[in-house]
Amino acid sequence: MKDYRSGMPSTPPFQPDEQHAGHENRTLWGDAWNRLRKNRLAVIALMWLVIVTAAAISADFWVPQVFGSPTVFSTSGAAELRLKPPTLAHPMGTDDVGRDLFARVIYGSRISLTVGVLAVVVSLVIGLILGSLSAFYGGILDAFIMRIADIFLAFPYILFAILLLSVLPDNLRGITPVFLTIGILGWPSIARVFRSSVLSVKENDYVEAGRALGASDIRLMLRHILPNAVAPIIVYGTMSVGGAILTEAALSFLGLGLPPGSPSWGGMIQDGRIYLTSSPGVVLWPGLAILSTVLAFTLLGDGIRDALDVKMKD
Amino acid sequence: MAGELLKVDDLKMHFHTRDGVVKAVDGVSYTLNPGETLGVVGESGSGKSVTALTMMRLIPMPPGKIEGGEVLFKGESMLTMKEEQVRDIRGNRIAMIFQDPMTSLNPVYRIGHQIAEPLITHKGMSKKEAHARAVELLEMVGIPNAASRARDYPHQFSGGMRQRAMIAMALSCDPDVLIADEPTTALDVTIQAQILELMQALQKRTGTAIIMITHDLGVVADIANNILVMYAGRAVEYGSTDQVFYEPSHPYTWGLMDSLPTHDLTEKSTLCPIEGQPPSLLNVPSGCPFNPRCPYVKEECRTTVPELRDLGDGHLSACLFAADPDFKRSAADCAGVTR
Amino acid sequence: MFRYILKRFAQFIPVFIGVTLLLFFITTILPGDPVALRAGEKKLSPAVYAEMRHAFGLDKPWYVQYVNYLGDLTQGDLGTSIASGRKVEVIFKETYPYTLKLALAAITLEILVGIGAGLISAIKQYTFWDTLVTLSTSILVALPVFWLGIMLQYVFGIQLHILPISGASSARFSDFAHLVLPAITLASVSTAYAARIMRSQLLEVQSQDYVRTAYAKGLSPTRVLWGHEMKNALIPVVTFVGLDLGAMLSGAILTETIFNWPGVGFTIYKAIGQRDFPVVFGGVTIVLFAVLFVNLLVDVSYAFLDPRIRFGDASEG
Repeated sequence: MKDYRSGMPSTPPFQPDEQHAGHENRTLWGDAWNRLRKNRLAVIALMWLVIVTAAAISADFWVPQVFGSPTVFSTSGAAELRLKPPTLAHPMGTDDVGRDLFARVIYGSRISLTVGVLAVVVSLVIGLILGSLSAFYGGILDAFIMRIADIFLAFPYILFAILLLSVLPDNLRGITPVFLTIGILGWPSIARVFRSSVLSVKENDYVEAGRALGASDIRLMLRHILPNAVAPIIVYGTMSVGGAILTEAALSFLGLGLPPGSPSWGGMIQDGRIYLTSSPGVVLWPGLAILSTVLAFTLLGDGIRDALDVKMKD
Repeated sequence: MAGELLKVDDLKMHFHTRDGVVKAVDGVSYTLNPGETLGVVGESGSGKSVTALTMMRLIPMPPGKIEGGEVLFKGESMLTMKEEQVRDIRGNRIAMIFQDPMTSLNPVYRIGHQIAEPLITHKGMSKKEAHARAVELLEMVGIPNAASRARDYPHQFSGGMRQRAMIAMALSCDPDVLIADEPTTALDVTIQAQILELMQALQKRTGTAIIMITHDLGVVADIANNILVMYAGRAVEYGSTDQVFYEPSHPYTWGLMDSLPTHDLTEKSTLCPIEGQPPSLLNVPSGCPFNPRCPYVKEECRTTVPELRDLGDGHLSACLFAADPDFKRSAADCAGVTR
Repeated sequence: MFRYILKRFAQFIPVFIGVTLLLFFITTILPGDPVALRAGEKKLSPAVYAEMRHAFGLDKPWYVQYVNYLGDLTQGDLGTSIASGRKVEVIFKETYPYTLKLALAAITLEILVGIGAGLISAIKQYTFWDTLVTLSTSILVALPVFWLGIMLQYVFGIQLHILPISGASSARFSDFAHLVLPAITLASVSTAYAARIMRSQLLEVQSQDYVRTAYAKGLSPTRVLWGHEMKNALIPVVTFVGLDLGAMLSGAILTETIFNWPGVGFTIYKAIGQRDFPVVFGGVTIVLFAVLFVNLLVDVSYAFLDPRIRFGDASEG
């Protein structure tokens, strides 16, 4: 079986030749893009994320005008506006204080996407630095960093986040502490993924060759190791955004995320929970929003993984 | 034709992939008599392993598809018989060993267990009997302290020892045919020689016929009775070892022989590798598949697909000009010039 | 083998100290005051307030508190709850069985459904069943657990009235019925992961050379699957399920909160809100022990399953 495969043209391995590195890179990514485009699920996921992002960015220009404010509610005559089933004016109905659910779900995407992306950025920064130090220098430093990662991983994730966030006085609550907390808790897995991919790249002959030619550590890291370890990081990062969104929702659901009243999907589910019997829509819609967005990030991550042909443990 | 053990006739195995049809084996024929050794030689991707695996029905179908041909083992068709019958033959009448002994043994089972398995399956031995026999077999292939080493796991064996264990496993049921798929490629040179010697010695003792698949003509030079040279899924030359070595009749075979390092130190000869790459099997060149790399290519080679033709005495070649003495002579001169 | 276990056990101690130290550090900067919280509306006189702080050891610096905590821990004393005045070990002795029960129910579901679905999916690759499993696991992984729990409550409790939606026992439903929805909720995500790991491992193993060897020996597909493939493919699955059991034993805060399940997670969550530090510490201590103990078990069973690790030393010698 090996026979016929090796006879077929395969993607050339990443070339150590620096002059051609840029060119090789482009075709590598170009190939990946072509493969991604053929993956129907990944394309749908990408399109969905583009739509959600566009809605989140442009919300100020159309949502309040058409559906009403997601946060402000009028106290006068609101009774008949409360917990309405979906109508043309309110496609998802209204919540317990008469706010348009659709508007709140759209604004919720702002919070979710911001927290999701920024949390992963924080994890990436910490994880990449510690992971590469760990892999590159090994020895005591490696053992120390990996032990700390163990400590973080041994501790129940959500409990840790609850503890960290419950430290916070009410006046400091908002997006920043939430994404920082999720980001800080996420670094050990990224550090591990990155560490192992650096270690496997480090074994390659061309890194040895570079070292033999007298390249400095930083140069080796930036020119040879990072570009090769970047594929698993992209895949892992994409999938992690979904995870971070889930965590944010869970924290807000527990009342520890964003301040009460803000249109966070998790918070909306908590607020609507007591009206579940009479109007399940209040819980249903924000839940579907979380599900679809997280699913899109997962499927896109899967697609990128297949396109870049990254070997990862599930 | 009596006495033929194995007959492969115009076998075709194609893979239907997303990118197109890969004609991994495209019309291969040979015969194997009891106790004989056949060398199957070619570059990687020439279809030599797939031929063997197709014969054993070990190619998953799909994506593989047998597009034609026949495989007869003791006169019975391997390709049409029931799955249970094939299973009875596998490991019992026809056994295989593979290229990479590191990965061909199951890491979570003891060596002894893995050797005993075919005995339990095919010979109906009890676990105890089979294990005792496994220890004998390990001794036979030259593993010291066989009784205790049988309880080891594969990772505790060196590469050469693992290949010995694979041979013990393959020979456990006294098969009629042993297919060795590049058995020495993954081993150190000194170990390679030991393994080849072992196989020859065991063949003398057991009378097993061997199909030796290799990319290295040197490996089969001493042990094969007949040699089949494959290129791009097709047989390009077939004959007795003497015929192929002393009267090679296909430019590809010449190339393979020129690529062999000579031991002659007095004459300063350089290695002459074959230029270019083996063709993609998705897109085999029209005409003779070797024409883009052939130094003696002529116009007809690009348009006419050469048939395998008999040059006399059962020596077959798929070169359009193999029967042309002028061509052979001029090619020999030409080859001399390029050196 | 014994040395291996000992080594893993030695690694447990720094991790334990690291986590508890971190915990002490966090709680000292927690702004809420547990004594004031306990007093509630009524104003305490400064003298009573100081006395209460002293009684709970809150007037000492955090490192003294930490040493005291470790000292008490060796005696099996986890302290006294500030909010209720009850001994912490008694509180968790009551709540832990609930967490254990829920965790075992969920892990059973995870093993049966997860491994089963993954197996079917891999054997019937590219068929309808494979697509079904792949798709539903993707969705399960993306589901917010708490939302799934609420939706299950809505469908089976509120609409169909066939299952209870809150608590661990009641007059109307059996204890088993009370367990069903929380167990499904808790198991959902991990079951999906277990199925995915099972599937990908089996598919990977199927393309290994030693599987080809097994077929070449003349073994039947069933023998190859259960003998040669599963034994290799299960190793990572067992590891995952084991680690997951550890996570579940640490109390499922979200699931327990949604279903008012009187387990460890719910108790710790309530204690954080009340700034009831002894309960938080006690709970976290117990949870840590549970997690680290299970992880140790997983490591040992991993070595048991995979001879390459068990005899790692032998090959070097």
